[in-house]
Amino acid sequence: MRFLSRFFLPIGVGLLGLTWLAPFAIALLMTLKSQREALTRPFWTFPSTIALFENLRFAWEIGKLQFGFRNSLLYATAGAAAAIIIASAAAFALAILRPRASFLIFMVIFSGTLFPFQMHIIPLFRMYQDFGLYDTRWGLLLFYMTISIPFCTFVLRNYFTTIPREIGEAARLDGLSDFGVYLRIYLPLSLAPITTLFVFEFTWIWNDLLFGITLAKSPEVRPIMAGLASLRGVHSASNPPGILAGALLASAPTILVFLGLQRYFIRGLVLSTRG
Amino acid sequence: MTNGTVRDRSVGSGLFRTGVQQQATGSARVNATSITIRRSRVQRYSATLRRQLASYLFIAPALLFVAIFLLYPIVFTSYLSLFRWDGLHTPQFVGFANYMQLLTDPAFRTSFQNSLLWVVGTLLFPVGIGLTLAVVLSRLRLERGLKLLFYLPYALSPTSTAVLWGFLLDQQGALNVVLRALGLEALTRSWLISPPWHTALMIAAYTWLTAGTNMVLFLVGLRTIPPETVEAARLDGATPWQEFWRIVFPQLRPITLVVVTIALANSFMVFDLIWVLTQGGPFRSSETLAVMMYRESFVLFRLGYGAAIATLLSVIVLLLSTLYIRSMLRKEQY
Repeated sequence: MRFLSRFFLPIGVGLLGLTWLAPFAIALLMTLKSQREALTRPFWTFPSTIALFENLRFAWEIGKLQFGFRNSLLYATAGAAAAIIIASAAAFALAILRPRASFLIFMVIFSGTLFPFQMHIIPLFRMYQDFGLYDTRWGLLLFYMTISIPFCTFVLRNYFTTIPREIGEAARLDGLSDFGVYLRIYLPLSLAPITTLFVFEFTWIWNDLLFGITLAKSPEVRPIMAGLASLRGVHSASNPPGILAGALLASAPTILVFLGLQRYFIRGLVLSTRG
Repeated sequence: MTNGTVRDRSVGSGLFRTGVQQQATGSARVNATSITIRRSRVQRYSATLRRQLASYLFIAPALLFVAIFLLYPIVFTSYLSLFRWDGLHTPQFVGFANYMQLLTDPAFRTSFQNSLLWVVGTLLFPVGIGLTLAVVLSRLRLERGLKLLFYLPYALSPTSTAVLWGFLLDQQGALNVVLRALGLEALTRSWLISPPWHTALMIAAYTWLTAGTNMVLFLVGLRTIPPETVEAARLDGATPWQEFWRIVFPQLRPITLVVVTIALANSFMVFDLIWVLTQGGPFRSSETLAVMMYRESFVLFRLGYGAAIATLLSVIVLLLSTLYIRSMLRKEQY
């Protein structure tokens, strides 16, 4: 039995590793090929000419990913940042100031995360149309910000309770207001969870498709995943390298963030299981 | 608080002051954490009230946005499920007719079956493989390097994954090319339009995407297991298999519950991947509940019906989540 595990396990893991690697490798190779070469030669051959820039340009201009990229950058950065600001203020009050009905309010905010997204889309679709938010960047930004608030509130509330109260109280004795304590004591001490939350929410917002296609319809407003989806819908048969270059483009920011900030990614993942 | 003759030398201003009491005997006692409130009762109360109201200001934006964009829609959707509405004309109240219709709708039967396939598939593959990888990797001490590889798909979106796998599964895609090269021409087909293969392969894509995150969670759980328990078993002559089932797995129960519940709930809500690959087709044969809800609402404009499906989906997911929340609450009692 032990003999088996000594050989089979590493081989098994190796095979699984190759299986996991294969889609990446095949796709990356394909993005280097020209359209004609991709359609005429088998996928494992190396490209005779590197057509990466042509493919990227195809996705950027003809696939209109330039709009989606710009939009998603706005939604993900501003949305996550605004959510963290709003959530941290709420978390501060709920954890530290604790006015009446704090726990109830917290549960109300948190319940926003318990329901599937399908429960939100129909009314939001109608509300957005009635109030002129449909197909606007503000509309999407407000939504992405809001959907990030409950989880950020949850995490920061928990984190704030671990900060020793004496620090804040000492500051209060020195005359600092509640807002000052929040701004100058609790926020600076919370850089680690804030970074984790930013990475987590940035990724979530960047990767969204459902709300992007439901709450907006023009490429100038839609996020990048919506653009990628229509790019595939139109060109998948005729230009595989083009659409794969689009996928590469669409994934670059989150992959870069992931590689650079892995630690925070994984921390965010573990945090999300606590609620 | 103090006895007899005490002179007060309090410092500080505002609502709170640090009290310094000097005893008649001359020794001073400073209690840094005791706070002397020197205002009158009325002023004290209004200051506290003001502070309470101010603290609600901290909460207001969060509560407001969540209430408008998340909570109100939930209520509205459940209410809407009792109506028939095409989005243009006035809604018609039909009571539970939508739900009744679901029971006899063949599209619903297909969606439900597919959702069950997804649930079982998710338990077997993303969770099962995640667990296996975690155990094997930690045994082989290979966590550092390989963890990244299996986990990297998580940084991709479901949409990008769909584009990637769509390319692999195309008629002329990598899978068919490999099959042909192996002489298995007969096995090639248009995978994404052949039931049940399309669902099976989409589950494979989903596994590729999510097994890594389950693996990471299990690795975290494995790290909490005291090594003495495993060593003791090994000294007693346990085989690796026994070692796993009798010692390791029972101690993983809390994290297993977390992973399973989250994976199950998510498996009902998969949308992006399916929508990009097949749109639930062909002829709605790969639809799940989540996809059907979208099609009924935004393609067929049967919004009341879609709302009913969404409500049903929520009930299912909430039931699963309560199991999880209850277990978490129980855990906190330890």
